[in-house]
Amino acid sequence: MLTRISYALRETWVSFRRNITLTGAAVVTSAVSLLLVGSTFLIQRAFDNLLTRWKGDVELIVYVRSDADATQIEVIKGALESQASIIDVAKLRYLNQAESYAEAEKLFAGDPGTLRLLTPANIPSQFKVVPVSQDSNLIRELGEQFRNIPGVREVAYAQDVFDVVARVSQFIRVATTVMSIVLLVVAVGLIWNTVRTAMFARRREIEVMKLVGATNWFIRIPFMLEGLLQGVIGGVLSCLGLWGLNTAWSGAVADFNDTELAALVVTDGYMRFVMVILLLIGAIAGAVGSGIAASRFLDV
Amino acid sequence: MIRLDNVTKTYGSEAPAVRDASFEIAKGEFIFMVGPSGSGKSTLLRLINRQEQPERGAVWVAGQNINEIAESKVPYLRRNLGNIFQDYKLLLNKTVSENVAFALEVIGRPKHVIAQQVPAVLDLVGLADKGDRFPHQLSGGEQQRVSIARAFVNRPLILLADEPTGNLDPATGEGIMRLLERINTTGTTVVMATHDQRIVNMMRRRVVQLDRGVIVRDQERGVYD
Repeated sequence: MLTRISYALRETWVSFRRNITLTGAAVVTSAVSLLLVGSTFLIQRAFDNLLTRWKGDVELIVYVRSDADATQIEVIKGALESQASIIDVAKLRYLNQAESYAEAEKLFAGDPGTLRLLTPANIPSQFKVVPVSQDSNLIRELGEQFRNIPGVREVAYAQDVFDVVARVSQFIRVATTVMSIVLLVVAVGLIWNTVRTAMFARRREIEVMKLVGATNWFIRIPFMLEGLLQGVIGGVLSCLGLWGLNTAWSGAVADFNDTELAALVVTDGYMRFVMVILLLIGAIAGAVGSGIAASRFLDV
Repeated sequence: MIRLDNVTKTYGSEAPAVRDASFEIAKGEFIFMVGPSGSGKSTLLRLINRQEQPERGAVWVAGQNINEIAESKVPYLRRNLGNIFQDYKLLLNKTVSENVAFALEVIGRPKHVIAQQVPAVLDLVGLADKGDRFPHQLSGGEQQRVSIARAFVNRPLILLADEPTGNLDPATGEGIMRLLERINTTGTTVVMATHDQRIVNMMRRRVVQLDRGVIVRDQERGVYD
């Protein structure tokens, strides 16, 4: 038994190093495809976090005309506070024009054209409303009543933004999933090809092995381990890449601390879970790809 | 030990390589398959170690119909058969000892058994002092001895030799034949395909002659023609 194990490990290592170019190509492809698979997981999770945050937070924004006077604002505020059965009065927040402008500066940091059109004088002030009820129809009904109050410029529903984000998220989900599946197939193909080449290079050895009565599994296992190793190394590389990307991204959005963008991140626990999944996919894809290649070769 | 019942083997659409062949080989026999190139000698050997399967007929080895055994059992059948080739089929990146040990390693023999049997068989074939050489450092005759050592190290019941003297000069070929004869006296059945008339005539063993896939002669203590 020990002879067999040491034989298998030795042969795996020799073969792994022999085709270093092909091995490298297979490892890099599997790393990139697994990175995409991982990114898909993280992006989906981040959007879910973002959506959850919106859902539990502000649902309704009442924009007040920039030329509204203090009395009109008080009327709007009073009207909102009278709806204690629908909205959470304690969480009702009013952002005056200076505060709204400060928020806009962050929101439109990447869009200076829009920002240039806004000034602290022309920007609408706003009431951010947190409902107690999750019934979106009730919230919409309430919102429609406020449209007609003097001084109200517009009523916006987070649900509308929510739908847009959900659609974007859905699109990204489909696109990244398709790309990662395609790349995963390519990676399996490359591992398959590497192992086939390795077996071709050693066909004489394999012929001798078969003639002296080595079992197919005995011949196959070193090649399968080789593919497994390629897949796992690809998995490790993709984990490192994903960790780097996530750290950079989390750092970047941390600057938008008080905007919704900051919710577009994943927690460390989920990150670890995704890494384990990537390693597993790498290992299985590598072993299966090379196993198929080896079987094909041995049957001929 | 070996029995063929009306065996026919065709490659693709060509004329049969072996047609309706029947014969029996007893345990411990030494037998020559003779005939010109393409007469079906090699195919017969490949049928016996199940590298090929016949279209019709049955091949029996050590009491088993080897065409009916499962694919997964074939390796165990082959452990009873040693193979020797005209081109030796040695692994060039391994030493003489490693080449012989390889045959034991890949069937999972423990290290101490290998350490014991490899020198013993190298001694038998007369290469006791050349275990550390690589194949390219050996003469053709020596390389063939390594290949015989590899085929015999597992003490198989049957040795299949396909033109083992084909690449060797007459004197070296005779040395190889003496070695095969010695192995035969240990009880191992030897089946040898050859078109080396001199050797067949010298050995005076059973001769099965093939012509275009058909057995045309089966003679005890025969000569080539």
